Amino acid sequence: MTPKTTSAPALPRLAWRNIWRHRRRTWLLVLVVAYATITTILFWGVQDGFAQSVQVGNARFLSAPALITTPQYFEDPDPEQGLPSLDFLPRVEAQPGVKAAAPRLEFPALIRSAYTADAVRARGVDPLLEAKVSNLPGAIAQGRMLEQPGEVVLGQQLAERLDARLGERVVLDTSALAGPQALGLQVVGLVKSGIAPVDRGTVLVHIQDARVLTGLQTATGVALDVTRGQEARIAEALQPVLPENLRAYDLTQLLGGLSSAIGTKQSSTFLIGMIFSLFAALAVTSTVLVSVLERTREFGMMGAVGMTPPRLAAMVTLETVFATSLGWALGLVLGYALNYWMATQNVLGPVFASYGAAWEILGIGGEIYTAQSPLYALYAALTIALAALFSILIPARRVLALNPAEAMRTE
Amino acid sequence: MNLRFLLLICLLGLGPSNAATDPQAVLKAVVDNQRGGSLRATLTLNITRPERQTQLVLEVASDGNERAITWVKAPPREAGQAFLRVGDNIQLYNPTLKRVLRLPPSGRSDSFLGSDLSYSDLAGRDLEQDFTPRVEAESDTEITLELLPRPQAPTPYGKLVLRASKPGFVPREVLYYDQRGQAVRKITFAQWAQVGGRSFPTQVTVEDLLRPGHRTQMVYSNYRFGVPIPESCFTVRALEAGC
Repeated sequence: MTPKTTSAPALPRLAWRNIWRHRRRTWLLVLVVAYATITTILFWGVQDGFAQSVQVGNARFLSAPALITTPQYFEDPDPEQGLPSLDFLPRVEAQPGVKAAAPRLEFPALIRSAYTADAVRARGVDPLLEAKVSNLPGAIAQGRMLEQPGEVVLGQQLAERLDARLGERVVLDTSALAGPQALGLQVVGLVKSGIAPVDRGTVLVHIQDARVLTGLQTATGVALDVTRGQEARIAEALQPVLPENLRAYDLTQLLGGLSSAIGTKQSSTFLIGMIFSLFAALAVTSTVLVSVLERTREFGMMGAVGMTPPRLAAMVTLETVFATSLGWALGLVLGYALNYWMATQNVLGPVFASYGAAWEILGIGGEIYTAQSPLYALYAALTIALAALFSILIPARRVLALNPAEAMRTE
Repeated sequence: MNLRFLLLICLLGLGPSNAATDPQAVLKAVVDNQRGGSLRATLTLNITRPERQTQLVLEVASDGNERAITWVKAPPREAGQAFLRVGDNIQLYNPTLKRVLRLPPSGRSDSFLGSDLSYSDLAGRDLEQDFTPRVEAESDTEITLELLPRPQAPTPYGKLVLRASKPGFVPREVLYYDQRGQAVRKITFAQWAQVGGRSFPTQVTVEDLLRPGHRTQMVYSNYRFGVPIPESCFTVRALEAGC
């Protein structure tokens, strides 16, 4: 039986000392792992951030980052189910995280030109407040935003279908609390967002006109602009300051099908992320393997002085764990710093914008930020764990099969 | 005294002339002719399309103002359907479903029984309410009014040109123009019935000028004006059971 040459606690010490004996090789491994960690963090940050950007972008065109309304209206969007009062607005505006609040009155309507008619969902807005909670005013390609009652802003494709031009009149017919009502409105602006439902269906009217048409003197909801990425939390936090019969909904609830579609895409992204981690782990393993091959003679010597192959393998694995842990820590610091920069500055927006209209169709509106999550450290750790596992399977097995006499003869 | 007499002659001379050319008064007279008062009649709808022609027979009862009820009698495939109009509210009875449906806003532009009339036309908003008239031309036998939409009036048209014959301001033709000056729709009136001093047109033709060959002719027959129409006629129950 071969006597033990090192005690168990001595093995980590030996491994730690070994990694600093070959500083250049260790730093190479640390840098490879740091690189894998940084790219893992950025991969997930960009993936999640892109999904969030699509959600927020669409929310700002189709709905809002958060919306206060009655549960009845949320289930059945009929103006008759609108807000009983707007007295709660000052309390909501004073809440942390709420950047702006804009009452809206949405209603189904028929829009008519001299040539044809179309069923639409019109949105009555306060022109000054709407720009704070919606991207629509900023997406007016021709003409201008509403300024007063009697005006209407249409989606460009809808205007084309109605054959209504800037300065011409269209008629809005609806039926709600006030019974059947109709109003002639002058087209003052055309929206071109690149999002099909927006360009096909946008009808923005002054909230005063919406009140005349529907007979509802308040609004159907209050759209909120809230801190990005905090929509669900802020919507939840608003609940105590709202009257009993009102609820705050965040964008995932408001977008419905779109959020589900993004969720489905995230599942497939997770698989891609796993493959990505696998390749990163293999890159780390190959670096470890090269270092093992370079140290064959050294391992032969250690075997000759009595270190058993399993202990040699354990030492190699421990060296890998130490070096990769250092790389992981370094990668976390650099990766999160870089991710924070990209999460707070619109670095990616101009890059993606250069790809043209294809990105606009997704509704990201030229602003793409990365997401931040502690989970990314865990994903990166998974890469490191995989690397350690491969190190046990490949370089450490090679050490296990080492013949000290042959190894010492290796040049 | 002579001066007073002269002034009186001048006023008498100007009086009738001013009344004749007051566009608002002319428009009211034209619209009054079309209203005709309470009415029961058979209405034949001849719908012409480039590839086919369809005829529908309807029974109509109206109070001459805000309320009307219409039952489809022929052809058999369409028979049984009924429409109740009370102001801008329109309800439909579908005999297949045996249900009364309220016309949603999105259905207002739909074609009424496949004709060139829409449900919005049936709601019959008042020309006096939505347009400002101006006399465009006038002769001894005819007057032409140009009707411009009032601000925020619910009409998508740029202007209407209404032609009526004198005396009596009997409606002859209405041309609907888009906002670029192109005529898009024409309504022609013919065959007038004399009712209480009014000339009610019993033959109305609607033409879609954007789609050649699309035309609907409405002909009133068996008409009885001034008959009392019971209140029960303008109820949902009357859609199915009649009155």
